[in-house]
Amino acid sequence: MIDAAVDRAGPVLAVLPESQVLVAETARDWAGGRPGEAGWMPSDADAPAVVFPASVEEVAALIRVANETGARLLPAGLGSWLGAGGWTRAGEVIVSCMRLNAVQHYEPADLTLTADAGLGLTEVEDLLLPNGQWLAVDAPGAGAGTLGGMVACGVSGALQGRYGAIRDNVLGVDVVTGAGRVLRIGGRVVKNVAGYDLVRLFTGSRGSLGIITSVSVRLFPRPEADVTLCYVGGAGEIVALARNVCTSPLPIAAVELEGGRESGETVCRVRLLGSGGEVEEVRSRLVDAAGLKPRQILRADESAALHGDRAAWEEGSALVVRLAALPDRLADTFDRGLALAGALGGEVAADALGGVVRVKASPDAARDEDVAGELSRAREVVEAVGGTMTLSQARGEVAARAGWTGRRGSGTALGDRIKKLFDPASILAARCP
Amino acid sequence: MVPATLAKSLVGICGRDGVILDEERLLVYESDALTAYRHRPGAVVLPRSTEQVQGAVRAVAEHGLPIVPRGAGTGLSGGAVALDGAVVIGTARMNRILNIDAPNRRAVLQPGVINAELSEAARVHGLYYAPDPSSQTTCTIGGNVAENSGGPHCLKYGVTSRYVTGLAVVLADGSLVKLGGQGRESPGYDLVGLFVGSEGCFGIATEIEVGLLPVPEGVRTLLGIFDRIDDAGQAVSDIVAAGLLPAALEIIDGPTIRAVEDSVFAAGYPTDAEAALVIEFDGMEAGLDHDVERAAVLCERAGAREVRSARDEDERMALWKGRKKAFGAMGRIAPDLLVQDATVPRTTLPSILRGISDIGQRYDLVVANVFHAGDGNLHPNILFDRRDEHELERVERASKEIMQLCVDSGGTITGEHGVGLDKKHHMELIYGPDELDAMWRVRRVFDPGGVMNPGKVLPEDTIPSEDTVLPVGTGGD
Repeated sequence: MIDAAVDRAGPVLAVLPESQVLVAETARDWAGGRPGEAGWMPSDADAPAVVFPASVEEVAALIRVANETGARLLPAGLGSWLGAGGWTRAGEVIVSCMRLNAVQHYEPADLTLTADAGLGLTEVEDLLLPNGQWLAVDAPGAGAGTLGGMVACGVSGALQGRYGAIRDNVLGVDVVTGAGRVLRIGGRVVKNVAGYDLVRLFTGSRGSLGIITSVSVRLFPRPEADVTLCYVGGAGEIVALARNVCTSPLPIAAVELEGGRESGETVCRVRLLGSGGEVEEVRSRLVDAAGLKPRQILRADESAALHGDRAAWEEGSALVVRLAALPDRLADTFDRGLALAGALGGEVAADALGGVVRVKASPDAARDEDVAGELSRAREVVEAVGGTMTLSQARGEVAARAGWTGRRGSGTALGDRIKKLFDPASILAARCP
Repeated sequence: MVPATLAKSLVGICGRDGVILDEERLLVYESDALTAYRHRPGAVVLPRSTEQVQGAVRAVAEHGLPIVPRGAGTGLSGGAVALDGAVVIGTARMNRILNIDAPNRRAVLQPGVINAELSEAARVHGLYYAPDPSSQTTCTIGGNVAENSGGPHCLKYGVTSRYVTGLAVVLADGSLVKLGGQGRESPGYDLVGLFVGSEGCFGIATEIEVGLLPVPEGVRTLLGIFDRIDDAGQAVSDIVAAGLLPAALEIIDGPTIRAVEDSVFAAGYPTDAEAALVIEFDGMEAGLDHDVERAAVLCERAGAREVRSARDEDERMALWKGRKKAFGAMGRIAPDLLVQDATVPRTTLPSILRGISDIGQRYDLVVANVFHAGDGNLHPNILFDRRDEHELERVERASKEIMQLCVDSGGTITGEHGVGLDKKHHMELIYGPDELDAMWRVRRVFDPGGVMNPGKVLPEDTIPSEDTVLPVGTGGD
């Protein structure tokens, strides 16, 4: 069966010049990211090849041929979400958009950017920095990824409470659908209600509806002040402190937690972004408040650098799980995360404002069915209180047993019809979000 | 008039007081706030519960009649107009706030809750609902969801779709689906985001979960008076370039100022000015004065002849009055008003405004501009009298030229009012056949029979024919 899938991939590989195709063993050496860097191509991914289209026409040609031959494609950027291998399936050709990486339109005074989907997020940051602007999105692992990958995954970080989720910052996308249509949806203006909001449909669709080739995003002026207050203590007191900060009326940019470390300590980082006067005022009110005192206060570049480092928190993990429930359940959700991390030998990070708890683990010692069992039990608990649990990274066998997502609600049938509409022959990453 | 059997079953479902059948009372529902389009509905149903909405939808569908969902009827695109004797399902009586969940900063409510009333109810918890369309004292949240409404403060806070986290929706077959809910994270496609702004074509939202924000500690409002509108536009660009993030940046042009000052809404703007720029900052008291000072200096440098600052809430309201009541004031000058809603890249504002002014002069029309300058969302108002046929024709031509001008600059045809009936033929200015085809097909996913609000948003001549269902080059099964 795997051989048949590999055979079907043949005509797809013939679409592009040889220099844009990595086959079999060499594909495993592609590094992910840029060729030559440390690899993500996982050992249990039987992808026969990685292809690198350099134009929208080439993307469309790949999709056309895949429709003709029944080959399966897995859209990717720099491959930063493919690490644990669960996302790739036997015989799937990975389509990396990293060669589609031009800046199409950047007028700083408009506070918008339009660029090819394969433009790296570090390049985006370098482009915006001299103009005092930024893309106010801190998607997990974003530094290693591309603009298109970030939009396709649609997973937001802890800044979403203040600046909106990724979907709130995407103004338009160009996509080649699974049916081979080239669509330009949305636009590059910050307010747009012309027609149905297909941009939101594609954001977070994980490549299951089409391959995103271009993205327009909203930008923000870089805040004048960036301060982070770091608190350290036992999990109970730190989580309570985080909730107190979250429910205060003060303008807080993000409240993040980390736990499950060897030291047994839990860390809370409260990030303040804004004008100098405002940030200073909030800082002093937090410091003066009764209770725990911050162990450390980071300012400006130090604060920004810390958050840059933390973006890579998930990197290299064979299993990343995302638990979410209403924010006032944070203590329970965090406990559930700690328990899961304990069982699988991992760590926990949380976005307290959003009520999201992530668990990362490298459960090499555990058997896949045991890991899947732990995950299913955790999901049951979190779903019982109306929450959700999704996998971000997992080995293929674990994902197959536990499922990437749990309950999807009564909208499932609508979602299935939408998938069929845009990808009728099901050639694209079959795992809908 | 609807068939007697349908009338009877609707009364059976919603009660006698929940169904409007007599011609005179139906007149109230013949248009929304864009009065250029008028069609009397076959009947109006005012359900009180999700079950009644389901029952009404099923009954109407059985009779093969179209359905038009309606909130308060304050829309500006003809979206709630009942074509072809459609039955209007109004949500006005579904007006209960079901839960304000302060610890999670969210609320669950019925669609007929008035926008401003939600903020009012949340205020005791120190919270409010951010999107604030100018009609917020009368428009409903259900209508806001259908239109993805904006407002002056969405410059900083974003539009409706950012705040809607869950929906219960009655589909065209009367079934109920729950999308999202319990906060932002829900697996699967973002069907909540897709539904918001679908203008009543996908179904009727009967329960809505929204996010709330803490009320900012302080607010400062400034008014810059300019002799040249270009200078006001420059001030906006300079404020943005300086990295300031005001909650609102609104421009009122000379003709509008004079209309306002001539009316009962007079706000004390100098009538010889060519632009007034309202700037608002909110946040911690500590940072505000600094931001205000910087903005005031930037206005003066850009050529403002005067910068006023509100000293208290009354003065603040006065500064805003000219902006908020502009549409009402214009009604005094001319019997009819055509308002457009294009959004353009902010940097093109000065040239677009000159272009609009040229078009107005060429067609001998008064065009008054009030707009959300911070996000480039224009509202050129063409004043006219529809009894003058020649003038009406000039209005239509000028209107089309203005739209084309905005689209050519990289903009879009509507920033917050929606497409509705009014702009559906402009959709082809910004989308090609493939995009329109995709939108039709997504619409059919929700409403296969074309029952919900037909004749809106998408031009009929772009309906996909069934033989194009197969994708390009499909070889598989």
